[in-house]
Parts: sequence; C-alpha cells; structure tokens
Amino acid sequence: MFPEARLDVTLRVEAGRVAGVNIHSNRLVQASKLFAGRRPDEVTHLLPTLFALCGTAQVLAGLAAMERASGISTSSSQTPARQMLLLAETVTEHGLGLARDWPPLVGAEPDLAAARRLKLAMAAVRPALYPAGDWTRPGGGEVRPSLDALGKAVNEARAAVADILSADAEAVLADPDSFHLWHRSGNRPAARLIDEIMAPDLATFGRGPFLPMPEQGPAGLDARLDGDRDGAYLARPDSHGRVFETGPLARMSWHPAVTAQMGAFGAGLLARMVARLAELASSLQEMDQLVHALSDAPAPAACLVDGAGLGLVEAARGLLAHRVELESGRVKRYQILAPTEWNFHPEGPLARGLMGAPAGPELERRATLLALALDPCVACRVTVENADA
Amino acid sequence: MCLALPSLVTEILPADQAKVSLGGVIKTISLALVADVEPGDYVIVHVGYALTKVDPVEAEKTLALFAEMAETAS
Repeated sequence: MFPEARLDVTLRVEAGRVAGVNIHSNRLVQASKLFAGRRPDEVTHLLPTLFALCGTAQVLAGLAAMERASGISTSSSQTPARQMLLLAETVTEHGLGLARDWPPLVGAEPDLAAARRLKLAMAAVRPALYPAGDWTRPGGGEVRPSLDALGKAVNEARAAVADILSADAEAVLADPDSFHLWHRSGNRPAARLIDEIMAPDLATFGRGPFLPMPEQGPAGLDARLDGDRDGAYLARPDSHGRVFETGPLARMSWHPAVTAQMGAFGAGLLARMVARLAELASSLQEMDQLVHALSDAPAPAACLVDGAGLGLVEAARGLLAHRVELESGRVKRYQILAPTEWNFHPEGPLARGLMGAPAGPELERRATLLALALDPCVACRVTVENADA
Repeated sequence: MCLALPSLVTEILPADQAKVSLGGVIKTISLALVADVEPGDYVIVHVGYALTKVDPVEAEKTLALFAEMAETAS
C-alpha cells in the first residue's frame, strides 16, 4: 500500500537568510493512468471515491473534459446546479481550514463541533440538487432542486461559519473598521490568528513576485498536457517558464478586503489568509443567489463520441485541470493536473515567498503558516537546515 | 490531489476517537467530523480525521483499484 502522501519543505539558511528551498512531494500525480480502458461514466463514478478532499471538483472537471471531447453542450440548468455543488465543497474546505487547522496555530483546540455542523450542512446540497444521485453522469444528471432544503443548507452553513468567526463572515469583511474590530476582539482562534499576522513582519512574510493564475487557465495548457508523455508536466507545470499561484488569492484579489491587505503588505501571508476568508464569505453569498437560478431539468440523452477535451474547474485550492482522450466509447488517456502542483512547485509561490526570508527562531513557524495559507491538499512538513550553525 | 484510501474501523474509542486499519497499519483517528460510524465501517481519513463514511462495496472496489495501481507503480 501507499505511504500517506506528504510534502516536505526544507529551507537552507546561509548568512542569515533562506538561500535554498527544497520541496519534495511523494504525491502520486499519475494515478489517473488507471482510468485508461474504462468507460467514461465509470470514471466519473470512481472520481469522488478516489479523492478525499475535492471529490466534487474532480468529477466536475472530468465531466467538463468528457463533454468538451464529445462536443456536448450541457443544458442551462446544469450550470447553476454544478456551480452550487462546487461552492458547497469550497465552503466546506475553507470552513474546515478555519475551524480545524487554524486554532492549533494559536494554541487553541480545533472547533470540531462547528466544523462538523458546516460539513453536514454542505453534504445536504448534493441530494437536494440531484435526488436520483446521478450528478456524475456525463451530459448531466436529472436536476430536481429542493429549494427549501438548499435554503436551509446555506443558512445552516452560514450559521456554522458565524460560530467559527463569532461574527457573520460578510460583516467581518464589510469595511476596514469592522475587520479591525473583529480581529482585535480575539473572540475566536481565527480572529486571534489574523490579529497575530497583522504584525508587519508577519503580514508581509512570503511576499514574492505575484503571478496569479489567469482566469481561463494557462494559455496552451491543452497542448502542454497532450505533449506530456512521461508525466513530468503533471508533476511540475509551468506556462512559458512561469509558475502561477492558484487558489483564493489569485481569484479574490478584486475583493476590497483583499485589495486593502495587498496594498498595505503585498501578496504575503496576510493577504492569502484574508483571501480565504473572503472567498468563504463570497461563496456563501453566491450560493444564496444561485438558489434562485435553479430549475428542473431531465437527464438528457448524451452520447459521448471520440475526441480529446480539457476540463477546468476552480476547486477550493485552485485550478484543477482534467484532460481526456476518448476512443471507441472508452477512455484512452486521462490526465489530472491539481492546484498543489502549482502552489508547491519548486519554483512556485511557496518557494518564491520563502527565498531570502530572514532566518531566526520564528522561521519554521512562519514557513509553516505560509504553507498552510497556500493550503496544500496533503500534510506538509517544514524543516530548517542552518548552514550558519 | 489527495488520494482517498478507505480505512476499516476496528474499534470505537472514547472521546470521538477510533482505531482504523489500512493495509494492516493501525492508527487512532478522530471521528469528530462524521456521524454514525461503527466497527466494520470504512472511512476516508485525512490528516488524522475521518472525513466521510464509505459504502463497504465501494471501499473494496477502491482498495482493489489502489492495489492495482501499487503494482503498476512498482
């Protein structure tokens, strides 16, 4: 069997600064090779069981790739239903981060009751949209939204998040004064962590050249994936030599609360933490709005034909790309490029943010905070090697 | 992308904890984020927490798939 997937980040300190960043991943980036020879619907059925954290995003990226390959355009009812599924996963993942992973960073216990409440609320979204359970069907499943159940799920999630923050997420980010009052209050571990990170040397920590992932993904991604015969690109992607940052900061830099922190402290630790908070708040808001855009739709008779297609989805942690080649009703080739491969690339945003960072007793903790802000989908361990010592 | 390996729950412990077995390796994990888990159930574990309960038939299928993958990889 496999050892638990992990990222090991080693910082080499020389002359009082980080002079080298080594990131080693034992993640199996080529697991999707197993899909070759299987039926497309079998693959989309398998996807959510194979990925622990982003099962929904994986299916949606797979469906998009297969539908693109076959030239199927899905009905206008599928789009809001699928977006709703995706947002439910984003809310869960960001909320779990805040409730479970942030408190230990300020010496507090994880808020597991609120985390569980949020998780259960968002788990109700899928059956409330696709009661027949056929949401993984290429072409689209039967959408029969229960507006009542969805409204309740969103309200319950909002209440759980308010519990995690001790205030409504949107209200916290509404203006600089509200934000200031919230983190100064220190009412919850999330507020205490943000308050600690407001210190300028922490707020700016990890500030490197900011290269946000373009909205439609990197130009020429399809061709790069097509040409990737040995899987090297899946492990270390780039776009004309540039390694983008993907995830909340790349997506949320328009949000006033994020813009304010980026303006004051650059694209560092604080901006990334606030972006996650902002995305949690805006995802809940978007879910509220989407409820009104939903309508019933039968499962269409979709026929997959031979072809190749790229499917892109903005998952909680960033851009997720699936590429599929279909031949004679079977998957001939399947590739998955996950956001962690961009953010934790040896020349990616984590490495750029850590290069040149001042050494000191706080370095390991700060680097750990930065890794957590970039939110890898596997456990991450930071080690400092001091050549000066 | 984090692969989800289903673990078999072997024993429920106090304080929302449980013992799980994955390929013979026994670990103690938290059940705080899932509901109604009993010995004999399969759960997906991530950094020490059970995240979801998995249907036993699906779990066996996934484990078989991972075993196949391990062979291909080695």
